[in-house]
Amino acid sequence: MRVVIAEDNALLREGLVALLREREIEVVAQSEDGDGLLRIVEGHKPDLAIVDVRLPPSFTDEGVRAAIEARRRHPELAILILSQYVEPVYTSELLASGDGGIGYLLKERVGEVRTFVDALERVASGGTALDREVVAELVRSRHAGERGGKLGGLTPREREALELMAEGKTNAAIARAMVVTPGAVEKHVSNIFAKLDLPATDDDHRRVLAVLAFLGAGEA
Amino acid sequence: MIFPAMTRSRAAVDDEYEVTLALHGAIAAMVGVLVTIVWLATGTGYFWPMWVWFGLLVTVAVHALGRHGVDVLERRMRPLGFHVEATVFIVAVELILWAMTGGGYFWPIWPITALGAALGIHALIVNRRLLPSLRERELSERVDVLTRTRRGALDVQAAELRRIERDLHDGAQARLVALSMQLGRAEERLEDRPEIAELVRQARGEAGAAIKELRDLARGIAPPVLADRGLVAAVEALGQRSAIPVDVDARVERRLSPVVETAAYFVVAEALTNVAKHAPSASARVTLAEREETLIVEIADDGPGGAEERDRSTGTSATGLAGLRRRVEALDGQLRVTSPDGVGTAIRAELPCGL
Repeated sequence: MRVVIAEDNALLREGLVALLREREIEVVAQSEDGDGLLRIVEGHKPDLAIVDVRLPPSFTDEGVRAAIEARRRHPELAILILSQYVEPVYTSELLASGDGGIGYLLKERVGEVRTFVDALERVASGGTALDREVVAELVRSRHAGERGGKLGGLTPREREALELMAEGKTNAAIARAMVVTPGAVEKHVSNIFAKLDLPATDDDHRRVLAVLAFLGAGEA
Repeated sequence: MIFPAMTRSRAAVDDEYEVTLALHGAIAAMVGVLVTIVWLATGTGYFWPMWVWFGLLVTVAVHALGRHGVDVLERRMRPLGFHVEATVFIVAVELILWAMTGGGYFWPIWPITALGAALGIHALIVNRRLLPSLRERELSERVDVLTRTRRGALDVQAAELRRIERDLHDGAQARLVALSMQLGRAEERLEDRPEIAELVRQARGEAGAAIKELRDLARGIAPPVLADRGLVAAVEALGQRSAIPVDVDARVERRLSPVVETAAYFVVAEALTNVAKHAPSASARVTLAEREETLIVEIADDGPGGAEERDRSTGTSATGLAGLRRRVEALDGQLRVTSPDGVGTAIRAELPCGL
């Protein structure tokens, strides 16, 4: 996997590079700002970009905007946003920039190295990885389900499974989290696919679409 | 206050005055020239026409001065102004008369002294009577200064809070994140020493908790989307995240000062929280508009109403409302809550947002 990093804080950038190197993930280029990100994506054609939300010169949502622009120019590019805060607006915008290949994690999750690297790999292969706090924030808006139409048809257990899916968990991990058998999870998941009228493509892609339907409802 | 009609008639009066004064001057000059010619024709001698010139000049001077007093002087100062003009005029006439009669004993000293004393007394009286209004003016200037400086202090405070938030983000928070990354790497290498790995994992947990606390602190100062994208985006995000259906109608084109944006944001946030808590089956409508340098924020719901009654009995959300009121009033704004039973609750805040 070839990765680029856009992060203005040298301490974090170097920490990230060292951590990825230990896991034998190649960091091909780094940048300190949004324009730099666009340049290195153009020059190195990486599989995945790790982007900080706040970047110079504005130190607001520069990173999100640069990532969306990079994605527009290179639709195959996977993006993992690292942020110090949860902002559902930004997550929704990123998700709208394409189907899948998107992650939004709080920075401290990098410390959970194994989970972080799993998330990287999942995002690079077109999946999603959303921070559990982002998901919790989106779930808090009760009307997401009511307004979402199709989502309203899900049972509470199916909703729970879908939330865990949004975080990027595998069926096995969902089974552990819900304290049920993997078989029960598979049943929930296929019910979700059916209720959301998702096309019968490969399973990974359907998972992504289900998650998008779930998160997109928050915007209505 | 000057009304257009008055201005027009005033201008007409001015024109008429200009014409008459010019005519007056021209006639006087003509008469003067005539008598001078007569004097030349009658074989010069004692220059008696100077008395004619003098007389004519006096009439023109009175004409000009009278008008000047009405025009230039402020109403309250007008009597004293006329007095000054009259005194100057009389003194000038006396000096000219003294010079024309060939000087000698300087008799004008006596009338000048008397006129000066009268003018002095008049000025003293007027001054005393004007004193309270001077005080008034001073006070109103003071109020202007205080209003400006209070607003400045609030702006500085808001900017300062955002700076602290940014410093936390780039400083302490970033270091804690770096620390948690390093602890994570250490944990990875300690796979064969599970008890030490557990210690490191706990340390990472502590770092994570500290990061979360800092994050909550920063969010309390101002949510990131408000600082990044402004009031409209932040309020729309609030509407999307609210537990009740919210319709947002925001018509504010520009970024307002941080202190106004923050106050308006928290009014909407608190109001929506209250609706979700007390009228969970209601829906709400948020309106933001800028009218004549005032930001108007209104949150109306179609719940059961009677909000203030309920506040008095529980006493909980009343404090939230009081906090909002203080925030709004510190900006010279107003907060009104109307909550008739069975009609719903409306909270309206008006915040001055001029430059």
